[in-house]
This record gives sequence, C-alpha cells and structure tokens, in this order.
Amino acid sequence: MKSPKVLILRAPGTNCELETAAAFRAVGGAPELVHIAELRAGKKRLMDYAILAVPGGFSYGDDVGAGRVLANQIRHALTDLRQFVRLGRPVIGICNGFQALVKAGILPHSNACDQSASFTFNDSGRFEARWVHLRLNTQSSCLFFKGLPEMIELPVAHGEGKLVLRSPRQLEDLKKNKSIALQYVTEDGKLMGYPHNPNGSIFNIAGLTNPEGNVLGLMPHPERFVEIHQHPNWTRQTYRKQAVGLEMFKNAVAAAR
Amino acid sequence: MTVAAEFGVLDRTPKELRAQGDARHLSLNEAEWTAIQTHFRALKREPTLAEVETLAQTWSEHCKHKTFTSPIRLTEGKKTRLIKNLFQETIVAATEAARKPWCLSVFEDNAGVVAFGKDWALAFKAETHNHPSALEPYGGAETGVGGVIRDVLGCGLGAKPVLGTDAFCFGRPDYAGALPEGAHHPRRTLRGVVSGVRDYGNRMGIPTAGGGIWFDDDYRLNPLVFVGTVGLLPRWAVKKEVKPGDLIVAAGGRTGRDGLHGATFSSANLAENAPTSAVQIGHAIAEKRLLDALLRARDRRLYRSVTDCGAGGFSSAIGELGAKCGARVRLEAAPLKVAGLAGWEIWLSESQERMVLAVPPKNLKALEAVFAAEGCETAVLGEFTSTGRLVVAHGAESVVDLDMKFLHKGLPKVERAASWTPPPTAKPAGGAAKPPAQILREMLAHPNVCSREWVIRQYDHEVQGGTVIKPLQGVRHDGPGDACVIWPHAAVGDDSDFSAFAVAHGLNPDYGRLDPYWMAMACVDEALRNLTCVGADPARAALLDNFCWASPDDPKQLGALVRAAEGCRDAAKGFGAPFISGKDSLYNQSKDEKGRELPIPGTVLISALAPVPDARRAVTMDFKGPGNALYLVGRTNDELGGSLCHRVLGRCGGEVPKASPACALDGFKAVHAAMLKGLVLSAHDLSEGGLAVAAAEMGFSGEFGARLDLDEVARDPRIYSDETLLFSETPGRLLVEVKPESEGAFLRHFGRGAKAAPVRRVGQTTANPILKVVGLAGNTVLEESLRALKDAWQATLPGMLK
Amino acid sequence: MSARPMPMATHLIEVRLRPEFSDAEGASALQLLQAEGLSSLKEARVSRLYRIQGPITATQVQQAARDLLCDPITQEHRVVVPVPAPLNGMNFWRVEVWLKPSVHDPVGDTIVSAIADMGLPRPEAARCALVYRLSGRAAKPALERAVARALANPLIHDAVVSEAHP
Repeated sequence: MKSPKVLILRAPGTNCELETAAAFRAVGGAPELVHIAELRAGKKRLMDYAILAVPGGFSYGDDVGAGRVLANQIRHALTDLRQFVRLGRPVIGICNGFQALVKAGILPHSNACDQSASFTFNDSGRFEARWVHLRLNTQSSCLFFKGLPEMIELPVAHGEGKLVLRSPRQLEDLKKNKSIALQYVTEDGKLMGYPHNPNGSIFNIAGLTNPEGNVLGLMPHPERFVEIHQHPNWTRQTYRKQAVGLEMFKNAVAAAR
Repeated sequence: MTVAAEFGVLDRTPKELRAQGDARHLSLNEAEWTAIQTHFRALKREPTLAEVETLAQTWSEHCKHKTFTSPIRLTEGKKTRLIKNLFQETIVAATEAARKPWCLSVFEDNAGVVAFGKDWALAFKAETHNHPSALEPYGGAETGVGGVIRDVLGCGLGAKPVLGTDAFCFGRPDYAGALPEGAHHPRRTLRGVVSGVRDYGNRMGIPTAGGGIWFDDDYRLNPLVFVGTVGLLPRWAVKKEVKPGDLIVAAGGRTGRDGLHGATFSSANLAENAPTSAVQIGHAIAEKRLLDALLRARDRRLYRSVTDCGAGGFSSAIGELGAKCGARVRLEAAPLKVAGLAGWEIWLSESQERMVLAVPPKNLKALEAVFAAEGCETAVLGEFTSTGRLVVAHGAESVVDLDMKFLHKGLPKVERAASWTPPPTAKPAGGAAKPPAQILREMLAHPNVCSREWVIRQYDHEVQGGTVIKPLQGVRHDGPGDACVIWPHAAVGDDSDFSAFAVAHGLNPDYGRLDPYWMAMACVDEALRNLTCVGADPARAALLDNFCWASPDDPKQLGALVRAAEGCRDAAKGFGAPFISGKDSLYNQSKDEKGRELPIPGTVLISALAPVPDARRAVTMDFKGPGNALYLVGRTNDELGGSLCHRVLGRCGGEVPKASPACALDGFKAVHAAMLKGLVLSAHDLSEGGLAVAAAEMGFSGEFGARLDLDEVARDPRIYSDETLLFSETPGRLLVEVKPESEGAFLRHFGRGAKAAPVRRVGQTTANPILKVVGLAGNTVLEESLRALKDAWQATLPGMLK
Repeated sequence: MSARPMPMATHLIEVRLRPEFSDAEGASALQLLQAEGLSSLKEARVSRLYRIQGPITATQVQQAARDLLCDPITQEHRVVVPVPAPLNGMNFWRVEVWLKPSVHDPVGDTIVSAIADMGLPRPEAARCALVYRLSGRAAKPALERAVARALANPLIHDAVVSEAHP
C-alpha cells in the first residue's frame, strides 16, 4: 500500500515534531519534517503532500501570544492551505499547532478568513502538564475519530490553552456545526471545572474540527499516546488497553490513501 | 599592529596585584598573580587586559576546579596527611578502579558519556547556577538550564537532549526571619527558579522529569540550583578532534556586553557589589534553533569538534578547543548585539546561546547553509593552528598572544590546609516525645517530604513522548515516584526497541552535618535504590557528583569537603558505580542581616543514570492491589541521627545512617532480577522518614492499605523501640509488593549468608486504605487513614506558596 | 551602512486584554502584591507595552499592532501617549516593568523579525514591558517596595510606578 506523504510543519520553537513523525510512521505514513522557511521560499509545496500536521511546541517562543507569529507565517507561507483543506486532505494541529490554526482562521471554519476564536492563559495562571479525560463528539464527522470510543484519555501540557470565542452566540454555531470535537470531562463523562478542565476553556472545549471533519485541532497530545506504556497507569493494568492517539493517526493515513 | 590596553603587572607587589585584580573582579590569588608576573617578566612585556582576563577565566574555580586539584594537607586529630590531588585520588580513582567498558568518555568532555545499546550513547551532565539564581532567580535558573543543555549539545559531536533533571536547595518558603538588604525571600527564589526551569525547559522541548527539592533555612541566602541534562548521541559521534587548519566558527546568539565576569564571579564570595552584567535572562528559542541546526550539521558530519560558550565565552571555548594545537582569532568577525564593543569584551562576553565549532574549510558552505535554514547565525572567527599559541586580534589591534601551555598548565598549585574532627557520637537528646501517628503525619507534611506536584505539573515532563515512568505515579497520577524512566523512541527512531534509561538523585545535607563521609555514601545509596525501584539495572549505574560548599579557605570546611569526596570514592568503589562527570561550586556563603557569614550546609548531589533493559518491565511505587505480600529488603539499624524524625521532634545526636554498599547492592540486584521476570508489583525506597513514610506513600498512591508487623523487620538485635523501626533511615532498604503466588520465585533471587541482603515479609496490602502497624509487643502502634495522611502530604507546598 | 541617516522613530503600543476576559496573570500578580501587605488592592490587570524603534511609520506600527501584537478576539491595543498624572485619590496605579537596557530582551528579537517578515521595514530594536494596572488604595512608597519584592528585580528591571486613569 502506498504511504501518504505527511508534511510535519516546523518553525523555530516547534518541539513535538519527532514524536509526531514517529506516530505517522508507525501507521504507515511517510512523514517529512519541513521548515516553514522552505515553504516560504517555494522549495517545498504543501500541495505535494497528502496530510498536514502542525505539531506542538513554542513556535517563535510564543512571545506575543501562543501560536500568534506562526499563524501569521502560515497565512503568508501556506497560501494554498485553504485549497488543501477544501480538497478534503487531513490536517491536524496539536497544542501549539491548534493555537496557530485557530489564529490563522483555519478553525473552526476553514472557509472563513477571519479569526473567530482565540486562546488565553490557563485560569490557574500556570503552565500545566497532566492527563485528562476527554469525550469525543460522536456526532461530529471528524475523520480522525473513526472507531474510537467516546471516552478517551490523553495528556495536555500548555500554559495558554483556554479557548475563548468572539461571542456567546458563536458557541451555538459551534454546537450546530458539530465543530466541538473534544471536551474535557470527568472520568464518568461530566463537564466539570478545574482540574478536569485544565485551563478554563469555554464549554470545556479541548478540540475543534471543521464542519467537513478533515481538520482537527486539539490541545491534548495524541502523539504522546501511541503505545500503551505511555499511559500513566500502564503498570496498574486498570485502564482500557488501547493507545487512542495512534488510532487518530491511523485514521488520517487511511483517509489519505 | 597595535597592542590593546595593557594591564600593568611587571613592577607591582603581589599585594598590589591582588588589589588591582579584585577591583576588576578577577578572583586571582597572590600566588597566581606572581605566576603571571614571572611569565610576563620573562617575555619582557606587560600583559594586555584581555590576556589577564583570559588567564583569570581559565584559572577560575569554575573552569579549573583548583581546590579539588590542589594539594591539601589534612589534619585529623593528631595525624596529618598530604592529599596530592583530591579529585584524582577520590572521584577519578574510583572510576579507574571500576574499569567499566561501557564508560565511553569520562571527565574529559563537557559531559560524561556511557553506552546505550550497540549504536547509541548517553551524555549526562549536571551543574549548578547558584550565585546567578540568588541574584535573579528566574534568569539565573533559565541561563543555568540553557548552559547545561549546551554542555550536552557540545559533548562529543553533539547529543540531543532527551531529559532535564533539576534539584534545588532553598530556605523554607515560610521563613519568617530577617533577611539582609537585597536578598530575595526563599518563596520568591523558589517561584522564580521553578518558572525559569519551566520556561526554558518547556520551550526547548526537553522533558523535565527528574529532580528534587530540599528546604533548610541555611540556604536562604545561597540557594542551590542544580540543573542536569541527558543527551542521546550515536556512538560514532562520541569522539571529537580539532585539526590545524580547521575554521573556528561561532554559531547561535550574538555577542553583547551582557554576561561579563560570570566565571570569575562564581568563584567569589557573593558580595553586595556583584557585577550586574553577570545576570542575564535566557532566550530559549535561540538555543532551540541552535540545537536544530547543530544536530542536522552533525548528522551530515560537517564539523570535527564543538563546544559551548559557557563561562568565559569565546576565551574558554576557543582556548579549550585549541588547547592542543593553537588558534588564531579575528574578533571583528563576531556578530554583535550592539556596535562598539572593545576586543576584550567580545572575547570574554558570556552572552547566552552560543557555541563554537571546528569546521574543515571544504565543509564551510554546506555548514553555513544548514544553519541559515534554521535561522541561526554563524561567523568564521579564525582558524586553528599548529603554533601552540592563542593569538587574538580585533581589527588592527593585538588583543591576546598567549602560550597555550602556560594558559592551561601554568596555574600554580597552592597547598591548602584542611582539618577534620569527627563529631562526638552523642545519645539522641532534646525535643518532646510524640505519638508515632503524629510523627508520621508531621513527616509527610514536612517540606522535605511533601508533594512536589505544584512544581512538577509546571514542567512539560512528557514532551518527546518517552516518559514511560512519570515523576508522579499511582491511581490519581500524584504519588511520589522514585525516578523517571525515559524511552527515547522518537529520537532513536525505532519504536520496536524498548531500551530505556532512568535517572535518580541522592541528597541529604542533614547527614552531612553529622558526617559528610556518610552523607556522600548515603547519597550514592539513595540514588541507586531509587533507580532500582523503577526497574533500572543497579549494576550499570553511572554517577555524577556535584559538590556545593562554603569557603574552602576555612580549613574546617575544606576538611569536611575532603570527607565527602572520600565518601564518594568509597561508595563508588563499593557499589561498582563509576563517576563519569561532576562539578563543584564553592564559596556558597554570604553575610546575613547582622553581618555574620552564613555558610550553606556542605551539600553533595549524586545523580545516577542506568539503563532500563525493557521499559515494559518498569515498576511504579503505588500499591497495586489488596492481599499482596510486602517484603522489606535490607537490614534496619538504629540510625536516627540527622533523620527527619529527629528534625520533626527537635532532637539532636544519634548515629548517622551508614550505608554498606556490598550488602545493599546485593539486595538491589536481587530486586532488579525479580523485576525483569515481572515478579514485582511495586517498589519504593526507604529514605527520609524510613519505613513509615515509604509504606504510607505507597498506600495512598495506590489507594490500598497495609498492615505491617515490626517484629518481622530484619534488624540490629539491640533495637527494642517501635519508633526506631518505623523511622530509622538506614540506607540500602526497599519496600516491595509481591503477588502471593510469586513469593517463592521472588525469594529465589536473594542470596543467603552474612553478606547477603536480608529480605523479610513484613506485612501485606489490604483493601481498606488504612496503614496499620503492629509493634514489637504485639500492640497496634499506628492505625491511620491514608486519605488523611495524603491530605497532609499534599497541603504543604500549595499552602506555603499562597 | 547607509550613507544617509534613516528616519528613526520610537513608538509605544500597549496591548490589553479586553475587560470581558478574566485575567489569570493579573490575578497572580494581585495575590503576590497582597502577600506583600497591599491588602487594599482590589484588582490587577496585566498588559504588554511594546517599544518599537526604527525606520517605521506610525501607520506601519498600527498594522503591526493589529496583525501581530494584538489578538483580535481577546485583546485591544492603543498607542501610548504620555498624559499628566491625574489626581484620583491614589485609587488607580500603573506599574511598568522594563528589562534594563543592559539586559537582552528576547521578546524584542522575536518582534523585530516578525515585523520584518510581515513585509514592513525592519525595526532597529524592540522591547517589551509588562504593565500592571492596579485598582485599590495604596501609598506609593509601599507600592514601590512591594513591586520590587514581588514583580520586578531591581537588578535587571526598571520599574516605574505612577498614578493612572481608571
């Protein structure tokens, strides 16, 4: 079977690119680390790839807001991104990549140009790394979630993960469009505050998808759960033995084939 | 060619020289000034300012460890003996005695290097950034982390950092006493240092998954900030060499006026007139660009050698790389942050995030392209020569023209006096008795034991996706793990190979107050038993030593330092664990608010690294179920001297815990062998607070209870006290949970005989989360809700940082 | 080096979190100041103040503020013009914390490159300060002391405390 080419976007300060590449490789993708300067200079072309992944990190130090400078760069260097999305090719933005996709106006509506959501500092005022329980929106058409259970666990690690919207009415739009891909929940699936919702995101939103379901942005790190021994309780053997992160990458590669 | 500003030495008295140097923060003593004077009298010229600065940097405590390598005359009671070179006779001697073929590079590079499987190697380094962190906790910690990362990047041909580990000693956050003008409150120091480590480590994408914190008010003016990094490199990249004709290429950040005098400053007493330009804040993304570019250039084999610009800046980096051949440097080629720097400033600036490479001329174009692609600046500063001279020019001005031999070997050895008087062994005295349950609760809530979750959660300890055993463990991911296990699959690029490694630490200055020798022994023991607990191979451990001490000019302090170094030697020999690198930080003392010198307690941090043969066999410390057998490995002695129990009771005296390496190692090896067979459900080391704290932590992390019978504990037959058995801190002990059906197989791994580690079934786990202890007389000594104990353990740090 | 002197200008842009968003940074700062004894302070909001120097016009700086420095959802920006301190009964304060000129400012570096990458003239230099906007009664010397103990380190920072408009 052919291996779909995956563009793993790098920028100064990207730092989850190797494990993201490893995850794609493990499920039969052909990942390639591409620096944004190479796209800007025209040495590489986005359209030559089947999948785009914007991995986590602190692009440009997150100095004027998480993902802000990267979002500008994406607008300038990936001018064909909207076309890429329209063609239905899978796009995943993880953590800093999610922040950048939102600030570049690709999520939650990839056909609107303006930024309609944003991120601000965690309510706790601190960077936090912890595993969280998440509920997938089974109604959404997100291609990354095929075959996954409704309740999953993944780690988060961020300081500016609180998703905010332009207006309350926008939340209704997100619900209507089934754009809310993932929510922070308790172990038994309830919407609760801190620490279950690690950052204070509106409506406990942890991830967004576009209405077409081929773009996924999420604060948690699926690339850190591609092997069961990455789960914090693997020594206890009391958890579901499925590395759900790996499934997301598998779905992306399957969709691109 | 003109000559740069001179620094008159030829016709000065040693006293005048010293005074003149001190005014410039040069930290050279009179003997060193005399050596410089003699050298330049023979040359019939005055040195330039830059030459004197270069010598002061290169001969500084930070760069040459002159206390550790000088002859020391030690007086112990009525006996006196001469130690020719403390470093060679203790740390190096132990490593040479161990003769481990898996040690690939020890004491010579920026980090120690050990083998990791057939094709890979691990570089490990820890250092301190104490003085800068005292002045500016955030920036000091940031630049400390940045520096040790560059050490690993500049080790061999460059290693990819895969783990950060950081240990701190602070005054208590609730310190309520007075502080001298300008000193930060320990609470602010803690916040700032943690934020600095967090912001730099997280931005670099290196998991900070190891470390520890010790609180003692004697650190309030001189906090200790130990920063460590483990890097992964291919075996072929371990060796480096410089050839005459190679270009000197500077890469990374630009050079500015910031950071002048860091190296000499770290040797000097923390004075109120510390040079403020030594305090900087870091630029992690600049270093990340450097990392990305360097490793790409390494894999294309575009350079022959590399080192980082740490203390001393270009002067140390180029001086070191060219030590065996010579170098010619043109400073005007260095990219500057601001125009108008003098030659000596460029040469000595300690601006962060810079490295120096030795590049064959034919590779220059390709190398420049790799760095440019990452947005990382490079500049050719000159070339390595075969003249044996260090020649530095700035435009038409001659800045430095020194003989490499004099620079690196000219440091005069000054004999130092040391004295050691063994403290009298006193019977434990003072303090009021308390019920065991109360002692246990207070110990769990004590700052030195309580939960570190507030700190650990701020570190991205799982970036790179390899942290298979996390620093926080148990049902709710909040129990105190003994060590982290890193499975560097993403960096290795092979997720079918489950080879991993673990890193752990040992530190206990309270033992050192009684006897630094036994402190050092206990620290090595603690680091190794922590490693054992998570499934690392205790027979394959490599060690780092980090000594932090007050002024060695005080013979008593130096005597204590010698004792500690000898403890390290004997522990390393006894455990067969070689030291592979280390660092020392001296003069950690400052004047308190009343003008009295406040020295830190002599402190040794032992960091240990060992392979975990199969990450899938690793073990955590939380109880896994009810009805399992609990085995205590190791013998318990009456060793409460310097213990947490004594601290909680306000008691003094007592026997300091004494490690017995042979017996302890025997026990660790047996537990490790049992783990490889999957026979161990959980394991936890007994350290501060002894058996009681270990059992409570395992219980509340796993949410199961335990019933312990103290009469089953293997012990010194002279012990008749339940309290001693519960709280004694004898090293070499582990508490291990084993399924009933595995007990026979588990026990078969333990030897018999006088030298074997005793292993005894001391109780079992229970479904009810209660810790119940039956005493020697058959009575219930303690019966406590683990939920309540956990609450006490968790409340301390958030409470003190409110 | 160009033979002609380039037109140089200094611009000050303040970027604030919109009032409808809760300010976690401000809450942390307030807690720290209160712990230093300023218990009558009621609120702290944190904004960022950018000083951009170089051959760049006010209009271009506005563009950089809108498209780079300021988040369109959560933040608002304004050009800072010095105003005489009002008398408001010491109820509102403004604390600017700058890195001293001798200390390198990495955020400034990022901004210089990012502005150039937008196709605007590359600034000579940029620096970033944190601005704490405080409400609640405080005496200026006490506030200055608390700022030096909790928010700024006099060794590397210049902190300017002034009365402010609400």
